[in-house]
Order: sequence, then structure tokens, then C-alpha cells
Amino acid sequence: MNAIVSSAADAIQIRNLAKRFGAFTAVKDINISVPAGSFLVLVGPSGCGKSTLLRMLAGLEAPTEGEIAFVGETVSSGAGGVISDAGRRNAGLVFQSYALWPHMTVAANIAWPLKVAKWSRERRDRRVREVLALLGIDALAKRYPAEISGGQQQRVAIARTIAPQPSILLFDEPLSNLDAKLRIEMRSELMRIHRATGATSVYVTHDQVEAMTMATHVAVLNNGRVEQFGKPIDLLRQPATTFVATFLGTPPANLLPAVRSGDFLMFGDVDLAFSAAARGHESVQLLYRAEDLCVGAVAGRPSVEARFAEAAPIAGRTMVTAMIGDLRVTGMTDGYFSATPGEAITMSFIRGPDAIFAVSGERIDQ
Amino acid sequence: MTSTSIVMPSGSRLLRSAFLMPAILVAIIAILVVAPLLRILLSTLTPEGLAAWETVLFSPLSTNLWWRPLFNTMALGFGVSIGCLLLGGFLAWLVILTDVPGRRALGLMATLPYMIPSFAAALAWGTVFRNARLGGSAGFFETSGLAIPDWLAWGLVPTAIVLIAHYYSLAYTIIAAALSSVGADLVEAGQMAGARRPRIFFGIILPVVTPALIAAGSLTFAGAVANFAAPALLGLPVRMQTLSTRLFGMIETGQNERGFVIALLLIAVSAAFLWLSDRIVSGRKAFITVTGKGGRTKRFPLGVWRWPLFGLALVVGLLTTVAPILILAASSLAPQGGALFSNWTLHFWIGEGGGAIAQGQAGVFRNPILLDALWNTIQLGLVVAFTTMLLGLALAYTIVHRRGSLLASVLSQLAFMPLLIPSIAFAAAYIALFSAPIGPMPSLYGTFALLVVAASAHNLPFAVQSGRSVLGQISADLEESARLTGAGLIRRLFAIIFPLAIRGLFAGAILVFVKMVRDLSLVVLLFTATSPVLSMVAYRYAAEGFMQFANAITLIILVVCLAASLIAHSLQNRVQKWKES
Repeated sequence: MNAIVSSAADAIQIRNLAKRFGAFTAVKDINISVPAGSFLVLVGPSGCGKSTLLRMLAGLEAPTEGEIAFVGETVSSGAGGVISDAGRRNAGLVFQSYALWPHMTVAANIAWPLKVAKWSRERRDRRVREVLALLGIDALAKRYPAEISGGQQQRVAIARTIAPQPSILLFDEPLSNLDAKLRIEMRSELMRIHRATGATSVYVTHDQVEAMTMATHVAVLNNGRVEQFGKPIDLLRQPATTFVATFLGTPPANLLPAVRSGDFLMFGDVDLAFSAAARGHESVQLLYRAEDLCVGAVAGRPSVEARFAEAAPIAGRTMVTAMIGDLRVTGMTDGYFSATPGEAITMSFIRGPDAIFAVSGERIDQ
Repeated sequence: MTSTSIVMPSGSRLLRSAFLMPAILVAIIAILVVAPLLRILLSTLTPEGLAAWETVLFSPLSTNLWWRPLFNTMALGFGVSIGCLLLGGFLAWLVILTDVPGRRALGLMATLPYMIPSFAAALAWGTVFRNARLGGSAGFFETSGLAIPDWLAWGLVPTAIVLIAHYYSLAYTIIAAALSSVGADLVEAGQMAGARRPRIFFGIILPVVTPALIAAGSLTFAGAVANFAAPALLGLPVRMQTLSTRLFGMIETGQNERGFVIALLLIAVSAAFLWLSDRIVSGRKAFITVTGKGGRTKRFPLGVWRWPLFGLALVVGLLTTVAPILILAASSLAPQGGALFSNWTLHFWIGEGGGAIAQGQAGVFRNPILLDALWNTIQLGLVVAFTTMLLGLALAYTIVHRRGSLLASVLSQLAFMPLLIPSIAFAAAYIALFSAPIGPMPSLYGTFALLVVAASAHNLPFAVQSGRSVLGQISADLEESARLTGAGLIRRLFAIIFPLAIRGLFAGAILVFVKMVRDLSLVVLLFTATSPVLSMVAYRYAAEGFMQFANAITLIILVVCLAASLIAHSLQNRVQKWKES
């Protein structure tokens, strides 16, 4: 499943990694490698094991099996536990809760890790000023964490993590506690910092938009496994499983169940594709992007009757959601569109299916 | 819209009560807290009072009346405070931050000593360590042939040890709560910075819990300074006086003005320290911890020290909970004070009087005063628990709903004042106010009513605190959403507010009940022959040297306290099923 070929000098290499808590398996069979300077995003629904994976990278948890290597050097393994301590693997972690030490001022929070690393006072002060400026929070140096806003705390947490100039930066859902506007701002801020520091970054999120915008590499996790790993655009274009296909992308893509009938794959009584594409499967799932469905009949294209549910304008077009029986489908239409919920509308498939999956979820058309 | 016409009058009634209630509350607090304090202050400003000031502070007597007791009191306060911080802090660290085995059990055990009255531990200490110096029957060790030096049998050292054994659980509770608020993220952030365990402990954990340490230190200090039972039982026989025993002695011997002066000085000492610690803790340094995922805490592996430290904690727990109870039980059965485990008899419980044992005194259950006292004690506990919680809820409601107003801040300041006042000094203030008739009101001194009033006032800070936490559990949304369904005030009260508040109210009431049942320092001055309570009867027996009787009654007090806690526990789970586990 590795879309990207790994090499020995990869900044982060994860091999056959597994973590079990008693009988519960949090993650298993993880194989990911990324070169130096990449921005790896681990994305998946809550409980998929992405945070556990990150904590193993940080050295806060020991793996049960497999190993993790930073720049060719094994830092953790199932056999050896945490070989290289959290503090000694040249990695920094930004916590979801920010974990700012409440008894230290902003400046002291940033300086403390440097003090632990035995930096000289002048070097420390210079570095603190530098990162404060980099994040635009110079004015907050003397404040305590409880006296600044959530967004500012977030900046301090990032400043504290990048101050010792780690070669690997780890982020645990860092933007999930911010409001929507601030989140978008901080997203670009983080990408700017990533470019400025050049540190290899691993970023955990459940927000697929963050994953698609920020990542050079994305690993989609589900139930403790990597469903697919690769470049964001490849995952979007060539999803390997129905999970990846429906989890990534805005607006969400549609999956339509179809059965073979003679030469055609039928969705209800509509023939959508030739059955050759099903490669011998009797039942399949067809992937249609929202932009491949439109409202109204189109000459020569198959169409279905649906009941209108809701509409949302997006960038001059309108995203229309409708129900076909119990199935929710999303299409796009030009201009602004609205209707009464429950009203019958026609939806047409203006292109063929983007991908075909078996009922069990894996892709069968490539 | 028929419902509007029903709702409107109740709304206007509420509006009127919104003015009436604060006025009543201010009046109640003024009578309960302000009046006694003003009265005691005024009675020391009369000619007799001024003479008493002079005698206590600037006369040949002042060494004995003020300086020595002050020195003993301060020594006790600091000693107990430091001991409690070390012991309670150690246990809290062990239970909250390490992987010590049996953490739950150790934690539970560390909270128990506070439920046991301090005079239980003092009596148990005497039973075991008493030496022959003062005559009477010697303790267990001396009888077994182990000579006990005076400093270990009487005076400052045993008093301090007994008080530490009692108050360390208070320190434990406060420190443990603070430690468990130190999120794992804070510690892990330190780990990520490369800090080692000692560095994380001293650089992050300790500074974050410092406010809690200061709070625990000052509260145990105040507790030790105010305590009457332990110094009275272990110190008075060798004439070691603290301010509280001095105060008791003065009032007991009719030297009321001198007693009042000492009471004021005791209040000043205790309040000064509490105020100082509050100053240190408040302001910028009062850290608000940003807690992480579900308040997860980081547990450090202890390695080979797991079991030795577990053993140590277990010994501490057993010595301060089970051991005193066993000693008291054995002693109440043993005719010879020192021979705890031989010739057991039930004489001290149910024996008829007139025999050779215990100078012909009958067993405690044959003593009519005892049954009276038992009934009185339970009655006092119940009545005070009820009045206190009612008052606390009303005050908390007014304070919360008028947050920011002058009225709210005045009420809350006044309601928390009793916290600064040692209970024995508070009792002295009540004597000052109520020993003579006030206008048409007869003198309340010696009545059950006075006990109830004084105890309610004394428990006011706690009541307001628990009232606030109870109200805090019921968000305004919950009540408002019920109001939107059209439910009337009474209906809302019974369907929404009461079920949500009952658990907190109940827990608070039980604590007040237990506090009253095991209290000695408040009742010791206010009690009279017509209103005896158990702790007083036990103290009287002990003062007269009938240790077995005292121990038997103390056991009864313990049983009542434990039974109350157990009933509370089982009732709580039945009342609010959704909060199980």
C-alpha cells in the first residue's frame, strides 16, 4: 500500500508498528516512511489510534511490536521499548491542551526546555525573543498562561516546542480547541512555521480539510490501521478503499450500491455503468464525486428521482443534498438553488463513476 | 395563554422575596457572627476587661497566662503543620502520582482519620503510652515492662503526634486534589523538553501545587491551634497549657474577662496566619490549570520501591485509623488500664455499679446521663445539619444570584468569618453575648438552643461552600429549560432542582452531623448539665481518670460517625442512580 518508496535515510521510518493495551489493539501493522522536511498528517475519526501513534513517536509510549527510526537510528522498538528517551530524540510535541506550565510566564515557559538543555543565558534570551517574534507574541512575554486567550496559548505552545530547534515536530490536534476563523489562520501560520524551521512534522487531526491543505504526506487511519498512505492529491484521486473515498474530499463523495444485470451495473432501475468494470463482482459500490452529480435532467445521461433535503451555496455554486430512499447523495449545481425539503427533484450523473469498490470496501477497478 | 396568568403571580412573589430574603439573611448573619464578636470585644473594654488585658499581657502573671501558652500553641501549630504537610504530601504523592499497589485503598485510608475525633487518638495514645509519673494506672507499654520517658507520655510531643495523626488527612485531601489536577500533559511536556524526574518534580509539579500546600499548611496550623481535646488530655495533666486550654480554664473558673481576652488573642493568632496564607496564594499566583484530556494524570513507576513504600503507607494508615479504634475497644474491656488484652469484662459497658471495679461506677449503658447524652448528641447533630444546610443554601443562592453586588460580597465575607475563629474562642464569644438576658429574651446560656445557634454559626463557612457547589451543579439552563415546558415553580423545585441538589445537600449535611457528633472544643464551654453531649461525657470521664469509660463512649461516638457515613453512602447511590461507579 506504500505509494511512496522509502529509503534508509528517511527522517521518520515506522516499521510493522503495533500497540496493544491489554486485550485492546490500538494500532497495528503501521508502515510509514517520510523524507526529511515533509509534513505528515495522520488523519482519521476519533478512536482510530492516531494519537497513540503520535505518542509512540514522541517516546511517551513504548510500542508492543515493530520499530520507529529517526534518521536511520532506532528510537523505539517492540523488543527494546523506548530506546531513546522522549527528551533525547530531538523531537518536540505540541499538545492538544497546550500543556503550558501555569506557574511560569510565557517567556519562562519557552525558556524552560532550553534551560533543561543547558543553553547559556544569552543564547536562551536571544532564542526566546526570536520565537516570540516568529509567532508574533512579543507583547505577551511577561504574562501567565491563564491571562491570555486560547489562540495566544496555542502560539505559546508552538513557540515553546520549536524553541530548542527540534528536527522533528509533533502536533496532537493542535487546532481543535480554536474557533473556526482562528483555526484557518493558525493553519497557515503552522505551514509558515514549518517552512521557516524546515523540521519534519507529524500532525494528528480528525479534520480532513486540515489534512488536505497542510500535508505533503497523508496517512488515513481507521480502526488502528493505515487505510492508505500517500500524497494528499493521490489519495483524493485514487482512493484505495471506500473509507478513504468518503472520508476525504469536500463536499463528500457519494457511494452508490449497484448490482450486475446483464451488461450493466444497475442502481435501482437505472443503469450506471458497464458490468465489465465490476471485474466479475455481482454487487459493487460506485463512487461519484459531488461535482459529477447535478440537479435536473441532462440529455443522454442517467438520472434518478430524489427528495430534496438541503442546499448550501459554495463559491458561486450550490451544494445540493437529496435523499434517494434512505441514501443521502450530494451533488453540485451552478448558481443558487433552493427547494422545499421533501420536494421531488431529478439528479443526473453527468460523468461515469470515479472508482468502483467491492462491497467489502476495497477498490476493484485498477 | 392560560399558563401566563398562573405564572405571573408566582413571579411577583419571587420578586418580593428577592428583597425580603437578603434582609433576613443579613440579620441572621449579624446575630450569628457579628454580634458575638462585637460583644466579646466590648466586654474586654469595660474597666474589668481592661484590667484583664493588663493582667494577661503586662503583669507577672502574663508569662503563665499568655507567653507560655502562646509559645506552646505556636510550637504545636508549626509542628503539626509541617508534620501534616510531610505525611499528607507523601501519601498524596504516592497515591496520585505513582504506580503504588492498592492506591484506592491507601487513598481511602488516608481520608479516614479526619472522621475520627482527635480525642479518640489522644485517649488511645494515653492508653498505650501513659507512664507512672502521675499515678493512676500505667499504660500498656509501661505495664509490659517498657519504660516510657515523660516527654513521650505527656506534653507537647504526644499532643503534636496525635494532632498530626488527625489532621494529616486534611492535608492529604487538599494536596491530593491539587496533584490530580496536574494534567499528564504538563508532565509529558517536561519530558519532551528532556527534563529528568527530579527536575520535573521540583520544576513543574511542586510549583503548580504550591498554593495547595500553603492552604493545607495554614488550615492544619489553624486546626492545631484551635484544638482543645488533645492538649487538654495529654498536656493539662503536666500543666502544659495552650491558648485554648488556658481559655477553657479561665472561663471554667469564672474569670470570664481574662478568658475573653485570651479568646481574642487566639482569634488574632489564628486569623493572622490564615489571612497571610490567603494573601500569598491569591492574585497572580493562583494558577488556573488548563486540564488536558479528561484530567489524565501521569503515574511514575516506583520500581523496586513499590512494595516498601506501599508497606510504609499501609503502616501509617493502620496506625492512624485501625490502631486507635482497636486500642479503645480493648481498653474499654480491660479492667486493668495497662493490661489491654487480659481479663476482659463487659463491666465498663453494662456492669452494675457498686462492685470493686472502677470505684463502684456503673457501666456506661447503666448511666442515665449517657442515654441522655446520646440522644442529645444525635439531636444536636441532626438539627445543626438541617439548619446549617438550609442557611448555607439560602446564603449561597443569594451570593451567587447577586454576584458583584455589595450585598453579595458583604454576605460572603461575613459568612466566611467563622473560618478564622477557633471554635473554643467562638464559644467564648457566645458566652459573652448570651450569658445575660438581652431585652425580653431570656439568657440562653446552658440551653440546647444556644448549642444549636453557636454550632450553626460555626459551620456557616462550610455550609456556604457546599451550598455553592450544590448550586453550581445545577446550571441555570436546566432550570430554564424546565420553565420553558411550562412547569411551575413548585413542580420545577421537586422535579429538577431537588433531585439534582439532594446528593450534595446530603453529603454536606452528613459532614456537619459528623463534625458535631465528634466536636469537643465548641461544646466544652457551652455545655451544661442540662444539655450533656457524648464528647463532653467522655471528656469528663477522662478528666476524672476513668479511662475505660471515656474510651467506651468515644467508641460509641465513632460508631455513630461511621454509621452516619455509611448510611449517607448507601442512600446517595440510591438517590442518584445515574451517578453510580
